[in-house]
Amino acid sequence: MFELLQQSLFSGLLVGSVYALVALGIALTFGAMKIINLAHGELVLLAAYMAYVIESRTGWNPYAAIPLAFAVTALVSIAIYLLIERIREHRELNSLILTFAIGVILTNAILLVFASDVRSTNSPLLQDAVSLGSVYAMNSELLAFVVSLLVMAGLWWWLRNSWYGRAVRAVSSNRDASMLMGIDPRRVELAAFIVAGILASVAGVALYTMSVVQPALGPALTVKAFVVTVLAGVGSIPGVFCAALLLGVTEAMTVTLASSALQELVGMVLFLLVLFFMPNGLFGARARRG
Amino acid sequence: MMRNLPAAALLVAALAIPLVFGGNGYIMGLMVSGLIVAGVALAWALLGNLGGMVSFGHAAFFGVGAYTSAILSAKAGLPVPLSLLAGALGAALCSLVMLPALRLSGPYFALAILAYAHIFKILATELSSITGGSAGFQRFPTLPTIAGIDFSSRTGSYALLVVMVALCALVYRAVKRSHVGTALRAMAESEDATRVVGVNATLLKSWMLLLSAFITGLFGAMNAHIINFLEPDYAFSGNWSVLPIIAAIFGGYRTILGPVAGAVLIYLFDQIIAKELLPVGHQILLGLLLAGMILVAPNGLFGLFQTRRKGAPHAAA
Repeated sequence: MFELLQQSLFSGLLVGSVYALVALGIALTFGAMKIINLAHGELVLLAAYMAYVIESRTGWNPYAAIPLAFAVTALVSIAIYLLIERIREHRELNSLILTFAIGVILTNAILLVFASDVRSTNSPLLQDAVSLGSVYAMNSELLAFVVSLLVMAGLWWWLRNSWYGRAVRAVSSNRDASMLMGIDPRRVELAAFIVAGILASVAGVALYTMSVVQPALGPALTVKAFVVTVLAGVGSIPGVFCAALLLGVTEAMTVTLASSALQELVGMVLFLLVLFFMPNGLFGARARRG
Repeated sequence: MMRNLPAAALLVAALAIPLVFGGNGYIMGLMVSGLIVAGVALAWALLGNLGGMVSFGHAAFFGVGAYTSAILSAKAGLPVPLSLLAGALGAALCSLVMLPALRLSGPYFALAILAYAHIFKILATELSSITGGSAGFQRFPTLPTIAGIDFSSRTGSYALLVVMVALCALVYRAVKRSHVGTALRAMAESEDATRVVGVNATLLKSWMLLLSAFITGLFGAMNAHIINFLEPDYAFSGNWSVLPIIAAIFGGYRTILGPVAGAVLIYLFDQIIAKELLPVGHQILLGLLLAGMILVAPNGLFGLFQTRRKGAPHAAA
């Protein structure tokens, strides 16, 4: 039993790192534009299908699909941004409905092109298991974890040191003041959407290598990412990372201790508990969301 | 008189349809389903217009209403009219669980309710001893025959639904015109200012959520007894969230009758035209329509019409 728990703890941590990437994409665009992109899960899914295309057509490693996946998700992400930009009245609610509609379009487009079959990698290299002491992991899971950490470190560096990254943080914390400092918020918002596209492309490819994908997965990914951002509270990268690991571990534990059917439920319950008892999230003490 | 013109036109259309297509089971079946969507669209628009909340989770209320009524009528032997009411109440009850989400601002509320819809679907699948699980639930009574009218026939169901949609529209109108409606409109302008003058904004929003859930549950329950088969993937299908949103936006969610007319049109379009063109993934057309409407005419076709007629941007509100 102890070994099982240890194993699920470990697998949960590995999966959680990918959830963190998905959640950071949503958090980034929300920060810059105060708009939740409900099609973000579909962006991730789109990237996963690009990995499938590359693997099934060329036989290369799915990670070779990252440039293609990035090109596609960045383009779609830019298109989403440009469409949101056009909304004039009731921007908060209308943009939600718009991104929801884009999610419906993308899900059905994926369904049209790739049919409703589930897809997963068939690369033996990625699927091989390695043992680390008493726990096991697939190569793909370890790779996804390392890649996610690297991407998060990159994001952290970008937000901290680059002009655009700092501008994103400035616009997130005070849009009007940042405009007075000579920042064009639209360029910054666009940058946030492109970076969210990068995060989605890596997350999608990683997801494809470590589990199965199907067209209906998009909304579930969006919800998971949302659960993570609520758990984390006001976004800091380490906060989102910890919350995502927590979600991953909780899910994995549920599968081990109860049943895999309850896996989705436990994330929601966690989410409701936080909502009830800690409306500012686990790691956000001060800022008010409601 | 001009004000009631759209309502009168819809009523005439509602009466004319069974006279013209009464013998055509296919068309009447589509109309019945279209009216179910219309009821949910009305409930969704009520929450959106009066409560200022966008919900992506009305499927939860729909499914809870359906299962509550089906189970109570089959296992507790409740007469169907009462079980329908119980279904509506059950949906309202489950919206109570969502009340903490009202503390959240717009986008967070929308996503929280999406999460709730997932929970209820999983629960319906997992509690298989009560719901029959993913194998489905059948063998529950159809709509009864009352005063010589067989409500389980297509025309009977149609008549019942027309009356129910009309009743719900009247309730909506009464709420909108009451001082609750005035307070809610003020709240949409500035929630903080409304709080300052002593309106309990959260309480009013809670009532709107309850009412919206009640209506949605009622239509879910009626649909269950008309279809006479339930499974979690059907009763909690995302369709029951998506179609009403598109219908309400298409028809104009700030009007009362727009969502109703929109629902019937959208449903017929989806079933007759979209499914014919694209058997798989036909909802892509609905998605495109929804995105297009939000960008071009966020107040809906009927809203556009109304705004022009009255010549004031706030007339439709």
